Amino acid sequence: MKLEKLNPSVKAATVLCSVIMLSFQYNITLNLTVFFSCLLLLLFFSNARIKHIIVILAPALLAAFGMFMMGLYYAKGNSITSAELTELSAVPYAVRAAMSTNLKSALQLGTRILSYAGLGILFALSTDGEEFISSLMHQCHLSPKFAYGILAAFHLMPSMVREFSQARLALRTRGMHVGPFSLKPVFAMLVNSIRWSESMAMAMESKGFAGNEPRTFYSVTKVHWYDLVFSVVCIGSILIFI
Amino acid sequence: MRKEEFPVLQLEHVTFRYYENAKRNILDDVSLSILAGGITVLMGSSGCGKSTLAAVSCGLLPENGGYLEQGEILLYGKNLAEMNQSRRAAYVTMMFQNPDLQFCMDTLRKEMQFCLENICVPSSEMDSRIEKAVRELGVEELLDKKLHSLSGGEKQKAALCCLYVMESKCMILDEPFANIDEEGTRELIQLLTKMKKLRNQTIIVIDHRMKHWLDIVDEMILLGEGGKVLARGITRENIEECYPLFQKEGVFYPGVCQRTTPVRNMEMAACHLDQVSILVEAGRGRWKRKDRRRQLLHQVNVRFPKGAMTAILGPSGCGKTTLFLAMLRQISYEGNIQFGEKAWTKKEQFQHMGIVFQNPANQFITQNVRQEVESSIMQWNPGIKDEECACLADRMMEEYGLLRFHRYSPYMLSQGQQRRLAVLSVLAGKQNILLLDEPTYGQDYRSTTAIMEQLTEKIQKDGLTVIFTTHDEELAHAWADKIYRVQEQKLQEEMI
Repeated sequence: MKLEKLNPSVKAATVLCSVIMLSFQYNITLNLTVFFSCLLLLLFFSNARIKHIIVILAPALLAAFGMFMMGLYYAKGNSITSAELTELSAVPYAVRAAMSTNLKSALQLGTRILSYAGLGILFALSTDGEEFISSLMHQCHLSPKFAYGILAAFHLMPSMVREFSQARLALRTRGMHVGPFSLKPVFAMLVNSIRWSESMAMAMESKGFAGNEPRTFYSVTKVHWYDLVFSVVCIGSILIFI
Repeated sequence: MRKEEFPVLQLEHVTFRYYENAKRNILDDVSLSILAGGITVLMGSSGCGKSTLAAVSCGLLPENGGYLEQGEILLYGKNLAEMNQSRRAAYVTMMFQNPDLQFCMDTLRKEMQFCLENICVPSSEMDSRIEKAVRELGVEELLDKKLHSLSGGEKQKAALCCLYVMESKCMILDEPFANIDEEGTRELIQLLTKMKKLRNQTIIVIDHRMKHWLDIVDEMILLGEGGKVLARGITRENIEECYPLFQKEGVFYPGVCQRTTPVRNMEMAACHLDQVSILVEAGRGRWKRKDRRRQLLHQVNVRFPKGAMTAILGPSGCGKTTLFLAMLRQISYEGNIQFGEKAWTKKEQFQHMGIVFQNPANQFITQNVRQEVESSIMQWNPGIKDEECACLADRMMEEYGLLRFHRYSPYMLSQGQQRRLAVLSVLAGKQNILLLDEPTYGQDYRSTTAIMEQLTEKIQKDGLTVIFTTHDEELAHAWADKIYRVQEQKLQEEMI
């Protein structure tokens, strides 16, 4: 049983529910448990590559650390008693002073970011984009017009990247100075994208695509019993923790 | 030959323009009917409304913009306006000139499924229909490749395949060869011949070059300004009678590209390539960089003559454009590229060399045609007076047939007009080496000649060095003083 097999819409709803429930909890153990179970699930029950997990988690760890520091220095309150503080005499005075204000809420904030990140990658790295869109169409009644529009735009990305670098080069050869933040090539690219979207829409229409007319589907994503089990287990275990 | 003699497509007094208040009608009271079966080619000069005519006939316009003032379009005797897209697709489907913008899925199989879903084919039949179509057309190998990794010609083949699998009665192809090389063109023609033989579909083609079509066409129709029919019933037999008309309309016809200028003196070299090798990264993804590198050119030694025109021929993807990028020092290469005695800094490089890209729309720096030309003139002639500049711009736009569009946005021009404008705005500079990437792609004879003549004049007057890439051998032989062909990672010189 792999995470990829699960219905993407159910998976997304489960993750979203968990995130909302976690937002109202201040439980460090719960946060860390969620984070590590997400990692374990990804490592053992999905095809996600470890390299991808690390690359995506790096900025999340940075953000978590940032939140931790913010909580440590700027939050108000005192969660640590002075008796506990004196035991930590090896720690520099400045840190002890900061800790005296709020170690606990700092940890709460930091681990919360981690748990969010864990849930996020749990969904992102085990879901195929096209399947997700198809599932949104079948389970959440997303109109085919939007669904195929999103898919078309998604598949245009490589062309847009190429176009952007070509536009930069073209402008430089006209004697314009093009810095890393110049808007001129972006403008050229956006004008092109608008034209592209028009041609794309026309190409799709000429192949008989009409946004809201009835259509058949090659494959229809369905909700199975194991999707519901996954959802109930995830949300249930968070509820038990609370 | 045609078997049936009933009209597939009838346009009756169609008048169309893009803006309700525009002065010019793109289609002006057009009446045209096309008979069933066989291949019909519609010809006309750039910007005469051919593409618009095609889109209007499919019902894509005015639904996606524009204003249909009057007229009626009948498909198999039924009014087009009363059908929805799905039903229209049973009668007519269309293929476009830009191969990148026709697919909304990532593989041909999924795209074909999408097409069949649109026309409500039950999912149980889809696989067999797709298999049958690719087998009949012999394109099985394209089925599961990522579409963005295909060449332009392969993409156009895939697009044709999609139309074929839908089994609509009539197909309209809008300049299907505009963005692909000779090889791809030949393969597409083969595919079309096969389709014609297998199903006797009605195929309507819009093109300004007839050379590829002569062997398989059943009828050619010449369109003039405003989409008016100037001549029809042109076939291989009576084509010579129409040459004067083609000449007047500025449309290519066989043998029109004749050499008029003698080969120039080529003793001086503007640019030396010494043992140049170029490796590029093929495919996306940066994880395994070394595996994906591909050798495009290997130890090339050539010289491009000064004050002359050099053509570089070769199929797409062989490294022509990449060579230009190397000359502009935009990509890394091994070996030595020399221009004259002293080396230029990167900044100086662009003062000496100009380049016009395949997609000219990227090169525009202003939002109107006149400003575009004027800003170029100003940039390279600092301190020029405003009136003088305007006067110069007027003259240049006149020469290129762009004066009447001088208040348009460059992005609103047709593809051919855009390219003319790009060439024009680069030529307004004082560059002494000009690189042109496919300068005459998708242009009619008149504008091709206009550009080449303009370049010739610049060469004679200012000693400009022109290097251009092209797929068009006739063009190269008619204008270039030296021709190189990219073959087996080398540049081979070719006899003129």
